[in-house]
Amino acid sequence: MKNKVVMITGASKGLGRALTLAFAKEGAKLSICARSESDLLKVKLEAESLGAKVVAVTADVSRSQDVDRFVSVTEAAYGQIDVLINNASMLGPSPMPLLLDYPEEDFAEVLRVNAVSTFLVTKRVSLSMLERNQGSIINVTSEAGHIGYAGWGAYGVSKFAVEGITQTWADEFSETGIRINMVDPGEMDTDMHKLAVPDCDYPLAKPEEVVDIFLYLASDRAKSINGKRFSAQSEEEV
Amino acid sequence: MVDNTLDFYLPNELNASLPPEERGIRRDHVRMMAIDRNYGKIQHDLFFNLPEYLQPGDLVILNNSRTIPAVFQAKNLSNGKMRANVEVRLARRITEDTWEALIVQDYTKIGDIFIFAPELSAMVIGLKEKTPLAILKFEKKGSDLLNMFYSLGEPVRYEYINHPWDLDYYQTVFASHPGSVEMPSAGRAFSWELLFTLKQKGIQVDFIQLHTGLSYLLDDKWHQTPEENEEEYHISEQTQQKIIATKTAGKRIIAVGTTVVRALETYAISGELSGVTNLYINEHFPLRIADGIITGLHEPEASHLDMLTAFISKQHLLQAYGHAIDAGYLWHEFGDMNLII
Repeated sequence: MKNKVVMITGASKGLGRALTLAFAKEGAKLSICARSESDLLKVKLEAESLGAKVVAVTADVSRSQDVDRFVSVTEAAYGQIDVLINNASMLGPSPMPLLLDYPEEDFAEVLRVNAVSTFLVTKRVSLSMLERNQGSIINVTSEAGHIGYAGWGAYGVSKFAVEGITQTWADEFSETGIRINMVDPGEMDTDMHKLAVPDCDYPLAKPEEVVDIFLYLASDRAKSINGKRFSAQSEEEV
Repeated sequence: MVDNTLDFYLPNELNASLPPEERGIRRDHVRMMAIDRNYGKIQHDLFFNLPEYLQPGDLVILNNSRTIPAVFQAKNLSNGKMRANVEVRLARRITEDTWEALIVQDYTKIGDIFIFAPELSAMVIGLKEKTPLAILKFEKKGSDLLNMFYSLGEPVRYEYINHPWDLDYYQTVFASHPGSVEMPSAGRAFSWELLFTLKQKGIQVDFIQLHTGLSYLLDDKWHQTPEENEEEYHISEQTQQKIIATKTAGKRIIAVGTTVVRALETYAISGELSGVTNLYINEHFPLRIADGIITGLHEPEASHLDMLTAFISKQHLLQAYGHAIDAGYLWHEFGDMNLII
């Protein structure tokens, strides 16, 4: 990862923060964004204390103008982007209502933040990757994006969209040196999980414990892998 | 100096004020007039059929500089007096925190402060003689400054544009090096589908960067010659190798846009892969690298037209432009295309 430029959306908390620090330890140059400036700057300082160079931009990646600003600032700072992790997402109302009860505006908002943002950021970043004909894109999905579960509402539906985007783009990129894959990190001890399962009574993984598969997919060792889905906490060996 | 200029009458309705996507066609389905360099023979087609005019082994070179927001409204603090809503247009980057900029007001002096937002101001540290251009030194630099430009600015739009199109309309689909204040528009009609088709047919595609400067100073009394319009360019070593290999193989280099011709021919003269260019190309200029050009349709008397006469004779160019006008081709950055090969 030494000197590779790694871009992570939604980097201020949970998995995004854990990924930022993991890639910082590996010597990557980072570009991170989140909606909350104060939380983002804390993570920036943490990553810098590990010796990493960090560009941090306050941005809402569901807005295309913010996406362009975030990516353009990154391109101007580093001249290239090697890895993109589309991690930013929101859960929507908590506790999650049934789809039958789901407010229309909340449904649209969750799809915009989770699915449309993945489209917008990938579309913008892939220009830089296509120029050099190399790059790795990793989308964060969920078990609820693979199997429909009652009660997982718009979040699950949005992750189905993320999985569709990943497959479609993997096919479009198949003749290029760019690869796009997705990772289901499994249930983790994060603020979002507290909203999803408010009274959780079973043990949860720490976000720091699931980063290895992301480091692997970002690396040149995974150069031939495209369009695949991985579960970070499954027993299977990659 | 610009010598005897190419003049013709361009009817108003041929100024493209809408992007193709807003006229109901894909960006790669605008029209294309292909002109034979030697005989001036003209063919009318759609841009999407470009691969049919090229051969395997040819190298298409595009400028992937990305357009940044370059128009701002600022407060001007001068002699203790504050003036609101002064328009400032970025013209050219000088260093990480210093830009040449067009100040749209009658009088600007060294020491004036421009306040763009509570977090961003700049001081005038120089004036460019006999122009309305000033040298602004900003309080921020690099990424932080670019971030502010994106937060506060609007794209440069000219008088034939009557809708405030978003910055996104002023981008080519492959623009990934932010720095141009005006879109390098010759590449706008390319789609990724078309680029992939070219590659599938064995036609090579590669990129250089030339960050465009401000081309028009908003008043005809301020005329900038190409020699006065300095622009930053960069060609990678990998692209240099491809150019050499293509030439050696006897295949053609097709430059997409006058910016690419300018960068390539500057390199051909100086041998420098990166730098600043003020090269002026006209009918007397012996092209060393570019064998063909894909470009838009240019205004009467524009210096870009002089550059085209390095590719074909003035007579053939004016004839072709006459045909384009008769056939209702559309001009400017959202308009139709011209292949000279």
